[in-house]
Amino acid sequence: MIRGLALALAAAGAAQACELPGGPAQKLESAAHTVVYRTQPLRVGEHFAVDFAVCPAPEAVKVDAWMPDHRHGMNYKPTIAELGGGRYRAEGLMFHMAGRWEFAFEVRAGGKTERLAHSVRLE
Amino acid sequence: MRRGLLFLLFAAAQAAQAFTDAEIRAVASHGPWPPAFKPDPSNRVSGNKQAIELGERLFFERRLSVNGEHSCSRCHLPERNWTDGEARARALALVDRNTPSLANVRLQRWFGWDGAHDSLWSQSMRPILDARELGSSAAQVAKLVREDADLTCRYRKVFGAPLPDDEKVLVDVAKALAAFQETLMSGRTAFDEFRDALVKGDKAGIAKYPEPARQGLRIFIGKGSCNTCHVGPAFTNGEFHDTGIPFFVEPGRVDPGRHEGIKKLLASRYNLLGQYSDDPQRSGAIGTKHVVLEHRNFGEFKTPSLRNLALTAPYMHNGRLATLRDVVNHYSNISPDRLHSDGEAILKPLKLTEQETRDLVAFLESLQDGGGNYRRKAFAGDCR
Repeated sequence: MIRGLALALAAAGAAQACELPGGPAQKLESAAHTVVYRTQPLRVGEHFAVDFAVCPAPEAVKVDAWMPDHRHGMNYKPTIAELGGGRYRAEGLMFHMAGRWEFAFEVRAGGKTERLAHSVRLE
Repeated sequence: MRRGLLFLLFAAAQAAQAFTDAEIRAVASHGPWPPAFKPDPSNRVSGNKQAIELGERLFFERRLSVNGEHSCSRCHLPERNWTDGEARARALALVDRNTPSLANVRLQRWFGWDGAHDSLWSQSMRPILDARELGSSAAQVAKLVREDADLTCRYRKVFGAPLPDDEKVLVDVAKALAAFQETLMSGRTAFDEFRDALVKGDKAGIAKYPEPARQGLRIFIGKGSCNTCHVGPAFTNGEFHDTGIPFFVEPGRVDPGRHEGIKKLLASRYNLLGQYSDDPQRSGAIGTKHVVLEHRNFGEFKTPSLRNLALTAPYMHNGRLATLRDVVNHYSNISPDRLHSDGEAILKPLKLTEQETRDLVAFLESLQDGGGNYRRKAFAGDCR
């Protein structure tokens, strides 16, 4: 269960329509990009998928997660399927321990990589 | 009588107040128990009554071994919560690891201390073929099923077809063995009664849980942070960690644990991505598809379930620790120097007092269902 959700964003900006059909979604913004995403329910030790949109559409995008306090990442490398229209689905993620995770999207465009991240605490 | 009841209610109220909302949520996450049965989609005979009966018969079948002397029950003894009480298992020869319990095994994602298998049926083939355990082969297993009229009859009833090639028969035998092992669930415990009472606010029920176990539970979800890895109703995250137990098997030889397990998993033609899975969607293969091999996996071993822990001594992947108290002392006094420098920064010495150590052991002992519920059936050789 998510107890807290804190956004750690680079800067506000890139205010443009960026939508993810299908229900409520979270939004991360940086100077150049907006990521709108929705995860399946997060439970310790269970795989989940993330649906997300990136605006404007990037050249490449990665999804990863890390436990800063424990100094390790996930035991699994997610696969990302491009669904068209700047939308994606990442599968195979798992938070295998309780505690604070940093959940990040790495967006590459114009030769630069931006990292949009937030913290999630799992009980 | 009334004074006794009032005292009980007062004690219950005190106990209920002792747990914060966050603690109650943490305790609640370890239930309810038992979980509902979900068939394994990769095993077409999962939950099939006749397959369970065939699997039970095969589990105790010594002719599955190369010399006719050993069966699965050689190391997985029902009366010892499906372990053997030995530090390291021994059948045809001594193996490197402690015999894991089969109780609640169907709830696992990975099988074996190193998770080299992603299904219970795939795992069930390993000891049959391992030269140190049953030392058998697909040919020997298939020959037994073909030549024993009762096994042939039961095989056909379960799988509904003439016997195929040897390897297919071996896989089917493993699937029947898995169907049987899926039924091996531990029962409810004193902790489960307490957990349910706490969730319902049943103060009389709460008061029945012994105070040392209650205090140990508080350490488990608090100071000890044991529930970082021992999560959920089965008390395991099903993943792998370096817990500072030396992984030298003998001078000059180490047990690489999960690092080798991932390699074996991905190389196996019996994994859930392979041809022998009965799940056309490969829905259970998501872990196998996405698992990654990292250097830190070296010396990592699977987080075991804690249910019926008191019945499964000795402990850890190599049986190095003799008692539950030894295990608690290990985490109380662990040296960070014994952990991987590039591994997880999870463990630190808990520095428990003597009283805290006793309480934590009391909590772990409260996860015991009493054991011994399994009764082996007598089989009539009259299958037609």
